[in-house]
Amino acid sequence: MTPDRGAPPVVTGWSALSSLGTGADAFAAAVRAGRSGLVDVRGMFDGGELPRHTACAMPGFRARDHLGRKGTGYLDRSTALAVVAARLALADTDLELGDDNRRTTGVVLGTTAGSIRATSAYDRDTLTQDRPYLVDPMLFPTAVMNSAASRCAVWHRLHGVNATVAGGQLAGIDALRYGRTLMARGHADALLVGAVEEFSPHMAWGDERLYGSEPGRAPLGEGAVVLVAEDAERVRASGRSADAELPAVAFGRFAPPGGSPDPGKGLADCIDRALRQAGVHADEVRFVATGERGIPHLDAAEQAGVDAVLGPGTHRLRIKELVGECHAAAGMFQLAALLALHRNDPALDGRTSVVTSVSSGGAVGAAVLRGFSRTRRGHAG
Amino acid sequence: MDRRVVITGLGPVSSIGTGIAAFGASLRVGRSGISPVTSFDTTGFPYVMAGEVRDFVPGAVLRVLDPREWGRTSLFAAVAARLAVEDAGLDPATVPPERAGCVIGTTSGESRVLQGLTEQWVAEGMPALSPEDVRQCPPSRIAAAVSCELGFTGEAMTLSAACAASNYAIGYAYDLIASGETDYMVAGGADSTVRWAHAGFYRVGALAEHACAPFDRNRSGTLTGEGGSALLLETPETARARGARIHAEVLGYGLSCDAGHPVAPDPAGIADCMRRAHRNAGITPADVGYICAHGTGTPANDLAEVTAVREVFGASPPPMSSIKSMLGHTMGAASGFGAIAAVLVLTQGFLPPTINVTEPDPALVPVDPVPGRARPADVRVVQNNGFAFGGNNAITLFGRAT
Repeated sequence: MTPDRGAPPVVTGWSALSSLGTGADAFAAAVRAGRSGLVDVRGMFDGGELPRHTACAMPGFRARDHLGRKGTGYLDRSTALAVVAARLALADTDLELGDDNRRTTGVVLGTTAGSIRATSAYDRDTLTQDRPYLVDPMLFPTAVMNSAASRCAVWHRLHGVNATVAGGQLAGIDALRYGRTLMARGHADALLVGAVEEFSPHMAWGDERLYGSEPGRAPLGEGAVVLVAEDAERVRASGRSADAELPAVAFGRFAPPGGSPDPGKGLADCIDRALRQAGVHADEVRFVATGERGIPHLDAAEQAGVDAVLGPGTHRLRIKELVGECHAAAGMFQLAALLALHRNDPALDGRTSVVTSVSSGGAVGAAVLRGFSRTRRGHAG
Repeated sequence: MDRRVVITGLGPVSSIGTGIAAFGASLRVGRSGISPVTSFDTTGFPYVMAGEVRDFVPGAVLRVLDPREWGRTSLFAAVAARLAVEDAGLDPATVPPERAGCVIGTTSGESRVLQGLTEQWVAEGMPALSPEDVRQCPPSRIAAAVSCELGFTGEAMTLSAACAASNYAIGYAYDLIASGETDYMVAGGADSTVRWAHAGFYRVGALAEHACAPFDRNRSGTLTGEGGSALLLETPETARARGARIHAEVLGYGLSCDAGHPVAPDPAGIADCMRRAHRNAGITPADVGYICAHGTGTPANDLAEVTAVREVFGASPPPMSSIKSMLGHTMGAASGFGAIAAVLVLTQGFLPPTINVTEPDPALVPVDPVPGRARPADVRVVQNNGFAFGGNNAITLFGRAT
């Protein structure tokens, strides 16, 4: 591994697994068509009543349909989503993994808190079993937050850095920042960088208890996105091309929306800093993929930040209208939506877009993406 | 060209003391922080010991956060961070806020809050979940708590690599400062003891009944612990400019993943991690004068760790003790406590003991676990091991300030 490489990483393959479909092409088709993934989720959980009848969920998702029966019995849903998304991303890239580069290829995965359902169910057993210690030893790792990332490594035999960033709404930005630093500082040659969120009664009721009085909010969603991030120089030197360059990612933490220091102004600073680092003028930005979620007091901060730098005229892409509120995976779905627009459209080659995220706690972030179509590549996705 | 990165502040919140003076004194005398669990009802549990922080009063240290608005783990992190900047003699208001941040490791996040939510679920059903508890649940709040307490607006990341998380955090903070991306970082970890972790460790046969006795022939497992550990990292230039005392230097770190068994440690993955750390820091095994062990006290961990040490260090490895013998396994905070201990080894010239060792395991020779009592030593480089479920390995290296 070479320390201190200068160029930011590039994306050579990606996947999106969501209510919109399985894999990058299905996701891209749904985004182009503006198709929503909202489905009836009644009956998705045995005996568990849900506050709403619909969500952007995947009631039919079963790990074994993708991975076979072997080893899938003890995967929690978040872990299963991540392992499948990682497999899809590896099938989408022309990076070839062998014994040598598996040692320097790792995983950085964003999460809210792992599988809250798995952790809570594990704890429930300590209260409801005949003895409090009668928990299932095989499920112990699923109660821990790094389950998804570490299982991705086991499944795909990746011995490089393995990390989980618990960033919630900012997890996509966090994973990109951490991944970039790891690669730039020589800790990894290639990384699966992604994020995952599962739909569960726990998430649904938590959302209802916090935001039940917000009728316009995006329905909950679930899914995983995984990017294959590689060293730009190495990709170029081997004559390969990339789906996207990620020239800059910026982060800041301010007061919750409405408070001081103002996160809207903080976001504006972040976007400005990221554009300067990328060497891009605001009027060159084609799309801004926001995390707006239909909760006015939270969206206001994001809109203020975006408007201040990019102007109200820049085309907004609000992917939560299609894929739902996927919390930790939200930022990665925003980025995937941009990749989706580029995938089959050479007219957009080289155009620059921005991803923005704002959390209810006042964390803000912006990523700059320069995308390219698949038609210029040797192999189709 | 890399900038050098030094440690100027230490903030431990632990079962053997809060603040560096109390913590250091306990390490030196080999004090145990283990006591019977009081945070949950242990009725029906065969084993009931843990390393709870009994005297935690966050309001006594915090200046900004209202303790009622934050979960226990966030409060551990924020108090540890406040203690670290105080130890460093740094008034956080005097630094450019966008050039200062934090990265905090955790295994289970706001596990005490989630435990409360699960109790509400079992007792009254999900429609009765407390909105305030739901709001306090996300682990991203742990880093947010630190930044909010200190007024930093730069990086605020919660990293979870299970029980190696603090070392991941220290490594990331080191990289951000060394590369010039930022100037001040609080790095460390925090976790809270909970019922499910106690049950899980018991059920997989990894929990000790009375005491955690790493490297002992009759070691039977670990004990769960809790707390917060924080270190303030900056450059020698900023430290000297305000006349701060430099405790030690961060030399580098390494990360690897076993990508094998979800629970059992793998000596090959651990050895690989050691080599990566040594290469990153530009040192050789012969430079290392002491290893602060991961040392959980389970038969499997200690054997795997010593096997890896033998592979990398050969026939005469440096002494290697486990402070988990005193603290229990503080999960996401553990390797942060290891880093703080490493700094004390470098600055105060003693090796902390592995307590509870009555008969060092002959299968683990030639490793010297510093059994029972602390010992004076002149050490220039310390290696701090952190391993975790999922085969997430992370090792940091610290050197004496020069």
